[in-house]
Amino acid sequence: MTADAPAPVRDPAWSLSRSAIGLWVTEGVIGALFWVVVVTAVLVFVPEGGLPSPLRWALVAFAVLEAAVTIGIRPWVRYRVHRWEVTGEAVYTLTGWLTRTWTLVPISRIQTVDVTRGVLQQLFGLATVAVLTASSQGTVRVLHLEADVAQRVADDLARRAELVRDEAT
Amino acid sequence: MIDAGTQPRRTSPRVVLVHTATFRQARQLVPVLIPVAAVVGLGDGLLTVVVMAVVITALSLAGAVLSWWRFGYADGPTAVVVTRGLLARSVRTVPNDRIRGVEVEAPPLHRLLGLVRVRIDAAAGSVGTNEEELVVDGVPRAEGDRLRTRLLARRPTGAPAPDAEQPPEAPVEEELSRFRPRWLLYAPLVGSYLVVPLAAVGTLFRLVQELPDAVVPDLIGPEPSPHLLVAGLVVAVPLLALAAVVGAAVVNWGYRLVRRGGSLVAVRGLLTRRHTELEVDRIRGGTLSEGLGMRWVRAARVNALVTGLGQAHRRGQLLPLGPRAEAVRLLGRLVEDPGPLTGHPPAALRRRLVRALAAGLLVTAAGTWAATVLGWWWVPVAGVVLTVLGVPMGIGRFRALGHGAGPRSFSVRSGWLVREQAVLQRRAVVGWQVRQSVFQRRAGLATVVACVGAGSGGYAAVDMAAAEVPGFTAAASSGTWAGTLAP
Repeated sequence: MTADAPAPVRDPAWSLSRSAIGLWVTEGVIGALFWVVVVTAVLVFVPEGGLPSPLRWALVAFAVLEAAVTIGIRPWVRYRVHRWEVTGEAVYTLTGWLTRTWTLVPISRIQTVDVTRGVLQQLFGLATVAVLTASSQGTVRVLHLEADVAQRVADDLARRAELVRDEAT
Repeated sequence: MIDAGTQPRRTSPRVVLVHTATFRQARQLVPVLIPVAAVVGLGDGLLTVVVMAVVITALSLAGAVLSWWRFGYADGPTAVVVTRGLLARSVRTVPNDRIRGVEVEAPPLHRLLGLVRVRIDAAAGSVGTNEEELVVDGVPRAEGDRLRTRLLARRPTGAPAPDAEQPPEAPVEEELSRFRPRWLLYAPLVGSYLVVPLAAVGTLFRLVQELPDAVVPDLIGPEPSPHLLVAGLVVAVPLLALAAVVGAAVVNWGYRLVRRGGSLVAVRGLLTRRHTELEVDRIRGGTLSEGLGMRWVRAARVNALVTGLGQAHRRGQLLPLGPRAEAVRLLGRLVEDPGPLTGHPPAALRRRLVRALAAGLLVTAAGTWAATVLGWWWVPVAGVVLTVLGVPMGIGRFRALGHGAGPRSFSVRSGWLVREQAVLQRRAVVGWQVRQSVFQRRAGLATVVACVGAGSGGYAAVDMAAAEVPGFTAAASSGTWAGTLAP
């Protein structure tokens, strides 16, 4: 996946649901629409003399580029990068697209497991599993799994955490 | 169900005096009083002021009496219950096994009347806010001590703590550290003690500026002469240093750290005596921090990292200010020394330098433009100075980086303005986070964060060699789960 150097740690085994690409594209479209509205408003309402024309073109270029990246590139890169895995001992995820983050939490230190479904996620039949520990930074989020998979994973993790729980701090 | 046979207790009525004098309840009325004062006006001079003072005092007294009357606490066999509230009653119940620490403090007025304030810390995990704390304000000193010993003695003793080796109920007291007045000499080089006098000076200047010109004696003419500036500095610097020493003395006077049974007890303060108790079982490690000035004179401070401790920065302080050797010794008592740290690869130095120089170079570039177009020659000069200063800063930041793992503990270090080394037990780790940006990937580096349910929640080894990551994470966490990261 990376051309320059081997990854510092191994990648988790499983990829997300393909519907995640649809969700990210939708998010990109919404974001791009927002910028289109902002840029149009600036071009229409700021008088000709108030803004030099190179700046106007730069604004337009920014909006186009932003839309191209968030709709055309980022969802696919993200889909290729994002991975997750539940092993016998731990929950493991890889997220990000430019900066990558691997997070590993042992099942014995899990405090709570949440399943959340955002509005857009419901549209695509997806859900997020959040695994919380005693540390504010030690939270694992498995984004965009199929809703029934997410529920199964959460139930399984909660049950196993109950069995092997030690002090959890 | 909780306080079977335990009568709710009241605080001492003397606390009404304290709260009246400090306008504790009346302070909430200030936002109401200001518009009232604005409408009524202060035009009538002295009479209005007197009336206002009387009214405020009366309100304050009434507020203090009411809240004393409506406040009750009970330390039952399984939980502490605090009831309060003037109109809406609030009842808060904290199970005894969730009590992390008890702090007894005695501000000056309280001391005068023989009272103390007891803070019961019941934080859970990392969600800490002030909501996690029960405050019983204004009980007699003996009752405060009774409450503290009872609450801490009745915590579950059979807690699974493989690393704690203390005898269960031995009231032996062992002094770990004691304040030496000469440590106060470090204070002028410690940022936090300089902030207060500097802020005071700033306020003074603002005040002088706001005063009408006629009132201010014309000490400084239209052109401040260099002699006057030098003289001002000669007077101001020792004064600042003195203020820092006094500030440090007020906070830390009579500091003493003892181990009593399963607790660490820290006492300090000149005017407000503060008495903090930490459970040894919950200590997961400590941090040793040295500011820029402190490194000069080899001074340091030590904080304990305690799970579920609210306001950890203030409460966890074990050595507020002292020689580095003493700090290292104390940290060694908290957690085993993991041995010498491994430095990070040269690529990390390049990254530190690029970051340290970027700001200076940017200012220089912008400054060159400003100098040619606007004639602001001083901007590029400032940029060059910044760039030159960036070199030692980048090198300093790089030299601070390090990580190391021992048989039972591990350590990470970073920071330049304040260099912080965290030493943690292996069992403290509740997760690992490995981050790699595009630039780090090209340089073969990665940042590893040990997620910990204590202190700031995560301690990072910045820019370590990517190839070392699996080995370090496996060596620094207990159990085999971190092996998941190995390629």
